[in-house]
Amino acid sequence: MKDTTTQPQQGQSDIAVFAGDSPFYYQREFQRIQGKTGFAGSWNTLAAIFGPLWGAARGVWGFFWVFLMLELFAFVQIGRGLWGELGAEQLTRYERLLDNIAKREAQAAELAAAGDAAGAAAKQKIADNLQAAADKAFEAATAANSTALTILGAGLLLLLVIKLAEGFYANIAYEAQYLRWRSGQKVQSGRSNRSLLFGAVALLGIWPLTLIRFTVAKPDEVLSALTGGLFGTRLPITEFPVGKEYFAVLSKKGDAGFDWLAANFGDVFDGVTAVIRWGLDGLEVVLIQTPWPVVMFVTVVLALRLAGSRVAIFTAAALAYLAFMGLWELAMITVALIGAGAFLCVVIGVPLGIWFGKSKRAYAIAEPVLDFMQTMPAFVYLIPIIAFFGTGKPPGVLATLVFAMPPVIRLTALGMRGVPEATKEAAIAFGCSRRQLLFNVELPLALPSIMTGINQTILMSLSMVVIASLIGAEGLGALILEALQYAAKGQGLLGGIAILLCAMVIDRIAQGAYRRRAGDG
Amino acid sequence: MTDTVIALDGVWKIFGSNADAAMAAVRSRGLGKAEVLEEFKCVVGIADVSFEVKRGEIFCVMGLSGSGKSTMVRHLNRLIEPTAGAISVMGRDMLDLSQAQLREMRAMNIGMVFQHMALLPHRTVRDNVGFPLQVRGEPKSTRWEVSQRCLDRVNLTGFEDRFPRELSGGMQQRVGLARALASDPDVLLMDEPFSALDPLIRRQLQDQFMQLSAELNKTTAFITHDLDEAIRIGNRIAIMKDGRIVQIGTPEEIVTRPADSYVRDFVEGISKLKLVFAHSIMVPLADYRPTRPVNFEESPRAHHGTDLDQLIDIATSTENVIVITGDDGADIGVVDRATLLKGIQGGKA
Repeated sequence: MKDTTTQPQQGQSDIAVFAGDSPFYYQREFQRIQGKTGFAGSWNTLAAIFGPLWGAARGVWGFFWVFLMLELFAFVQIGRGLWGELGAEQLTRYERLLDNIAKREAQAAELAAAGDAAGAAAKQKIADNLQAAADKAFEAATAANSTALTILGAGLLLLLVIKLAEGFYANIAYEAQYLRWRSGQKVQSGRSNRSLLFGAVALLGIWPLTLIRFTVAKPDEVLSALTGGLFGTRLPITEFPVGKEYFAVLSKKGDAGFDWLAANFGDVFDGVTAVIRWGLDGLEVVLIQTPWPVVMFVTVVLALRLAGSRVAIFTAAALAYLAFMGLWELAMITVALIGAGAFLCVVIGVPLGIWFGKSKRAYAIAEPVLDFMQTMPAFVYLIPIIAFFGTGKPPGVLATLVFAMPPVIRLTALGMRGVPEATKEAAIAFGCSRRQLLFNVELPLALPSIMTGINQTILMSLSMVVIASLIGAEGLGALILEALQYAAKGQGLLGGIAILLCAMVIDRIAQGAYRRRAGDG
Repeated sequence: MTDTVIALDGVWKIFGSNADAAMAAVRSRGLGKAEVLEEFKCVVGIADVSFEVKRGEIFCVMGLSGSGKSTMVRHLNRLIEPTAGAISVMGRDMLDLSQAQLREMRAMNIGMVFQHMALLPHRTVRDNVGFPLQVRGEPKSTRWEVSQRCLDRVNLTGFEDRFPRELSGGMQQRVGLARALASDPDVLLMDEPFSALDPLIRRQLQDQFMQLSAELNKTTAFITHDLDEAIRIGNRIAIMKDGRIVQIGTPEEIVTRPADSYVRDFVEGISKLKLVFAHSIMVPLADYRPTRPVNFEESPRAHHGTDLDQLIDIATSTENVIVITGDDGADIGVVDRATLLKGIQGGKA
């Protein structure tokens, strides 16, 4: 009994403290809003009149910005209706055409005077045609001018609707702010002159410039006249007053930097290329020079042993497709490319992932780099890769690395951090060294996550095949690139399916192998 | 003192980047827990803890969550480094050990059981139990043999090739116990091992543990938040509050003579029937003034170590008073109905 009487009073005095000015009004209105589940119809006249400025004074910034923009939109329509030179463009065209016509007619008169009747007739014909165009332009100009009234009306109507929305929405927004204020978040309470000042400055900065831009035909000239040349002439508002000068300087510097690196570390880059080429050649020898029946047989048996009969049947079908489409060799080149890329990703990525999983600081530094590697469009790093490593398959592998390595790093780190502290502690309590902890506890427990990462890496490598072919990596990617160049739709589709099948076979076999081992045991 | 296995002397643990400065301030100015937190933003985990555990003893540490009991037990195998104080286990100064020596000590001499079992999910029960031996570099044959023996001990024969997730909570904790026993350690650290189990299973495991402990003569530090469990299992009990030990004593001492109101609150609901013994309620023979004639010859005799529960059984089977005998069999005191009822009521005469 006592609670029910004191509780609302407590809330009521809170509202008064929050509102500052006109506490009774807000107490009444908030109560009305809180007492209704749907639309309460609470009307705020001040908010309707002052609009965004009310929001600024009360610190309801969402309200301020939304209605600042909406009112501006309405004002622009009104301004265009009142002062807008709507037909200005057409009118200038009309004048230009008249000028032209006068010229042609003068020429025609000259020719007629010289006795060239045919020439005069031709010129006159052109002048007549132009006259028709000029008439059209004039009509368009008058039509545009006559729409001014419609636009003005629409603008006024819009303004009215916005004002109504402001009046009805203000207290709802303010009540929500009151609830945030109650729960201790840092929001403004009461009315603040500083907020109002900020709102007014923002309003004055935004509204006039925008209005001028949209209502006047030549905003820069008008502004220049108004501000004595400061805006408009020296500081045009229709475009940013900077050309390509900074860009040019920096991009030249970038060129020089890359050239310097290529010149001074050429040996290093050549070494990397040689190593990758060596690995790739080995893989290609295994996959291509081994007789195709052997490769097919081994692959199907592998699928059967590791992932079961269903995957084996799928694998056989996929290999048959590649063989019958005559894509066998291309597919093997592609697989070698992906295999080398994925292998490097795992060899580099898993240790990095372990490190990042253990060291928060290292991960904090690496995270933006990983984001960069994943989001940067491939063409951006293809350019320096060509500069450093030339064209062909090894740079293709490197481009794949950049794109495909982040998932395995991220997921390894995630897996490492997901190992329960209690399990690690128990292992340490039984005398584990760091090495034993890593190999006996952390890696096995992180393995599901690491496997997911490897899987992701393989699939992402495949999606890079076409892009790698841009810098001369052969294989199915090159086939599709060619299809693109000659708009060969069928070829593109068949090549795409081949890449898809390669990816699925690799993925299913790897997943199956892992599931079988981790599964029922 | 040769049979002291665990000894802690003035051990402090202060968590936080400023721990050393906080420690110095505690020493010089005697700051309390709240002041340390305010001034140094450091949390006092345990404060000035000292105790000794004898060989074969089960030493229970009882306290509520946040009292520092789990922090304390992790000092015994240096999973947590103390800020100050001395820790010795089996006569070796734990703080003096190199990392390699420490690992050896953990692998050979100190077994640990955890509240949440912390078994390795990817290994079979057998390989989980054999894990401490694997860490030590024992060959698989030894590992399997030992883990088989330990699993037999905790009645898990036949579950060797299962995975932990296939076992119930109680069985998993028995695997945890078997793992702790596998390296045949002298010291067992039990960190709330039975807290996460349901009451029935908990009781079974307590019994099993007490039996094993008696058979194998292990020295045990047993952490619990359950006073009933501490009283059931412990030879001695330490009660912790806010990182400090409030009282150390046998279950009977704790129950009959709580050191302060905090301990008294705990003890209040505990049944005293099995904790209070004849010698603490009896009236000495010389002081006994019977209200009516008593025939001592026909009175039943009871040893002075008989607990109240048994005394009630005896008293209900006779009309006579109970005569209490000493260790040598001589009559030393008397318990009559009034004395017994008072004893049940108040815990002492």
